[in-house]
Amino acid sequence: MATLGYRDAETGEIVNLAVDRELFGHSVHGDLACSKCHGGDYQGYPHPPELSAAELNCVACHEDHPENTDRLDFSLINEEYQASVHAMSDDPEAQGFNCHSCHDPHAFRASLLGREIPDIVAYDNQICMSCHDDLRDPLSLSHSWLPNPSKHWESVRCLDCHTPLSESGRPVSHQILSAEQSNVNCVNCHTQGQGLLARLYEYRSQQDIESRGFFAKAVFNDAYVVGMSRNSLIDLLALIIIGLTVLVLAGHGYGRYRAYRALREQQAAASEGDKQ
Amino acid sequence: MSALYLYPVWLRLWHWLNALLFIVLMVTGASMHFAGMPWLLPFDTAVPIHNATGILLTISWVVFVLGNLFTTNGRHYRVRFRGLFKRLFAQMTYYGYGIFHNAPHPFHVTEEEKLNTLQQLSYIGVMYALMPLLIISGWSFLYSVYLPETLFGIGTLWIIAMAHLTLAYFLVLFLIVHMYIITTGETILTNLRAMFTGWHRETDH
Repeated sequence: MATLGYRDAETGEIVNLAVDRELFGHSVHGDLACSKCHGGDYQGYPHPPELSAAELNCVACHEDHPENTDRLDFSLINEEYQASVHAMSDDPEAQGFNCHSCHDPHAFRASLLGREIPDIVAYDNQICMSCHDDLRDPLSLSHSWLPNPSKHWESVRCLDCHTPLSESGRPVSHQILSAEQSNVNCVNCHTQGQGLLARLYEYRSQQDIESRGFFAKAVFNDAYVVGMSRNSLIDLLALIIIGLTVLVLAGHGYGRYRAYRALREQQAAASEGDKQ
Repeated sequence: MSALYLYPVWLRLWHWLNALLFIVLMVTGASMHFAGMPWLLPFDTAVPIHNATGILLTISWVVFVLGNLFTTNGRHYRVRFRGLFKRLFAQMTYYGYGIFHNAPHPFHVTEEEKLNTLQQLSYIGVMYALMPLLIISGWSFLYSVYLPETLFGIGTLWIIAMAHLTLAYFLVLFLIVHMYIITTGETILTNLRAMFTGWHRETDH
């Protein structure tokens, strides 16, 4: 299998059909026989072009086996996908986009729960970067508005900003948003925002408990998001109240000092009077 | 000159340890809250210190409650309701007016009663209301995955965050007022010295 490939007669390009056994073995489909998916008209060679990846119907197969996909609602995924930039874009590069564009069936893993967060983030983001490799260009301006982009990309999945906030409780939406629609509002993560923040925090919190253990998590955790508890109204009110209190106390202290001086002067005058 | 031994060793040790934990929590808490300001600790350093100190503060608070349950110190937090408002009023009039006219202190420390009514009420409020709420909200932050996602239709995490923040500000306020009020003894240092030596010394009136 490792060297399976052919030169496409029309384009002249080498098409690599090799499957990495190790990746496949660890993928969600690792237990399946090849013929489970490639069971159609594959007897002849070369195979008819309409049997390309796009024709392999993930949804039909997954709906036949709900026991394997109980966390996933494929009609919802389809609905989300149809509203996503990948389905709606008229960019020629988005043509022919399908499930396999992101989810390589020979390598895809549904979840890396228990692994370190940076690994999960890197794995998830690699899927996006495999097409959007121009983002790695240091001269790319698309994320120049984002403070410290490399830090964000190490810690946050592309999906965290590029999908809408859903109430469904599912880990992630398939409605990938365009750059214009995506979350560019810092406060959605870095203040009281209830949606994106809770999604990030709870996800990381759970990861922390799984990877560090229940008790160690009390000291070490990666769940906090910088400035998460910031609320400008509470901060302003509190700082005003604290400032006023300090002023009142300073005034009070000055008043006491004046009283003390007055007392000393009285005492001095009294002792002067005694002497005379 | 009278001298009363009012602050046993355990209480003084607890008090200064608590003060230290409080200050560390304030500095690290502010570093997390206002992360990015150059004069604060780096965020990644502040988080584990804040968590560890919070755990120690929880233990310290339990020690305080047990100490008050099992030693005579607890009686100082028992409020006498008879004449409560009169005593409160006298105390407030003293701080607001009398103190500027060298009026005599309306309260005299005795072995049975070392805290005036105003002190009693504020310490009870802080130690038995604000502190437990602060501790509960802090622990809820750490284990929020076990809490319901929403409370009263609002994200639980947000409620916890705002509660923890508000309580923290209240306690900062308490610390500031507390530090000032200790200077209002017979001399500026009378009360502070008592918290170091255990002995409350006062000129006889």
